[in-house]
Amino acid sequence: MADAAISVAELRKIYQVPEREAGLRAALRSLVRRRVREVPAVAGVSFTIAPGEIVGFLGPNGAGKTTTLKMLAGLLHPTDGEARVLGYQPYRRDYAYLRQMTLVMGNRNQLQWDLPALDSFELQRAIYRIPQTEFRATRDAFIDLMDVGAIVSKPVRNLSLGERMKMEIIGALLHRPKILFLDEPTIGLDVTMQRRIRSFIAAYNQRYAATVMLTSHYMADVEALCQRVIVIHHGRVRYDGPLAGLVDRFAAYRQLEVSLAEPADLSHYGEVVAANGVHVTLRVAKAEASRVSARLLNEQAVADLTIEEPPIDDVIEQVFAT
Amino acid sequence: MSVLRLAYHYLRIGALNELQYRINFWLQLMQSAVALTVGLVGLSLVFYHTTDVAGWSRAELLAVMGVHILMGGLIGALIQPNMLRLMEDVKQGTLDFVLIKPVDAQALISVREIRLWRLVDVLVGMVVLGVALVQLGETLQLLALFAFGLALACGAVMIYSFWLILTSVAFWVIRVDDMINLFEGIYAAGRWPVGIYPAWLQGLLTFVVPVAFAVTVPAEALTARLDSSTLALACVLALLLFLLARLVWRTGLRRYGGASA
Repeated sequence: MADAAISVAELRKIYQVPEREAGLRAALRSLVRRRVREVPAVAGVSFTIAPGEIVGFLGPNGAGKTTTLKMLAGLLHPTDGEARVLGYQPYRRDYAYLRQMTLVMGNRNQLQWDLPALDSFELQRAIYRIPQTEFRATRDAFIDLMDVGAIVSKPVRNLSLGERMKMEIIGALLHRPKILFLDEPTIGLDVTMQRRIRSFIAAYNQRYAATVMLTSHYMADVEALCQRVIVIHHGRVRYDGPLAGLVDRFAAYRQLEVSLAEPADLSHYGEVVAANGVHVTLRVAKAEASRVSARLLNEQAVADLTIEEPPIDDVIEQVFAT
Repeated sequence: MSVLRLAYHYLRIGALNELQYRINFWLQLMQSAVALTVGLVGLSLVFYHTTDVAGWSRAELLAVMGVHILMGGLIGALIQPNMLRLMEDVKQGTLDFVLIKPVDAQALISVREIRLWRLVDVLVGMVVLGVALVQLGETLQLLALFAFGLALACGAVMIYSFWLILTSVAFWVIRVDDMINLFEGIYAAGRWPVGIYPAWLQGLLTFVVPVAFAVTVPAEALTARLDSSTLALACVLALLLFLLARLVWRTGLRRYGGASA
């Protein structure tokens, strides 16, 4: 597809991992002869993403999400296969390409720790050579949109995790990239912060018709932002399609977290996923969830009961383990 | 020159950063004063017994000390902090943020950090140099001054390249923090002209760790001991070492991205 923003064909990345047994003798032996094991992190992935799409990129830990994003961002050299983003081969790291994309990693930051975020923004301006007027307009619009006007002049070290992440995202988007790779942008943040960041990403996507690839452990992020999801597992694409299909297919059950007054066997209510004394986690069909809860409340000495969507990782892990 | 433009912006940020810790200025001043005193005492102890060391008079050795302090300040303010940051980035995985920027990665990693207060040593070094020149009673020729500047620049480039090569090894071996101590130990030897050391050590200080070119050669330029062929050699070596450093850096980067693996 010629007009795809991102197109990936049979992309592979194999890591060479030094291998040795535990112990001093093995360590010494490995000095002389290093044995390497090949670990395929991405084992032949293909997909295309149209300009302006927001795609959720899902999979359990170690599925190859980050490795794929890093290849698309030009940080890793593919072992095999082809990746094109805006027509560029990412690993060449053409400045023309780098100027049009950004990468946000939720667990790492690039802001100057001891200075206000405003100073870091200034550095971004210098690096990307953003014209002064354009820079000011973009910066101020983003600050407004994220609602961080009151804290942009506070040293970053004094900000909360969520506030810092907002600044990270603003900084990473000041050059108005057309391609966004967001790796867990909301990890560890509270619900309000997540929501704000989500709506910011949606607004940015709308305004600049940017293409977004997003990984997240939070189903809510994916539901709010992505029409389409790509699920990978063991380095391969296992599902590529509308989010609705994924939820119907794989999140067809709910988890009941039950706290009992005294330990009891709940296995006849549903599948017991975990039982730790008086705390029991039950898995029941989505349609059954409210009926089973009612029965539990009636028949057992229940101290507390919550109904939860299963964590997306668990869903994916469970579905693809079979 | 986009490198200079970047350097300016980072210099500004670095200055802002350091100005927040003004106490560090006083600490640095104290440290510099102590180091200077120790150096001067050592020098006078030596000249208590003799009038020259390997052909260097007391005033000339003072000049060497001045250059040593000055260069030490430059290394500590500009070169070392950037290399430490690079090692840290490789370890933490934050080097990724450098590599996605549309600028030369080597330029970027070389200008990001500055220890402003270490520049105190540049001033102290210049003062010591000034005193030495007055004691020598020499009127400074413009040419000698130019040669000094050139030799100093070559020395700085060599030290930078040397550091970059060492740090690029960080791509292969992650634990390299000890290199700092090793380097500082060797650099301390540069307080004396390399000519006073045994031949094997001279070789080490000239061609392995380029302390000779960083300190002794500039001092020779100022004290009218330098012949032009040595200066030319310094320029050529600086260029070669710089090119080698760039090559090693690029190889390291390829390794980081797994292109060669």
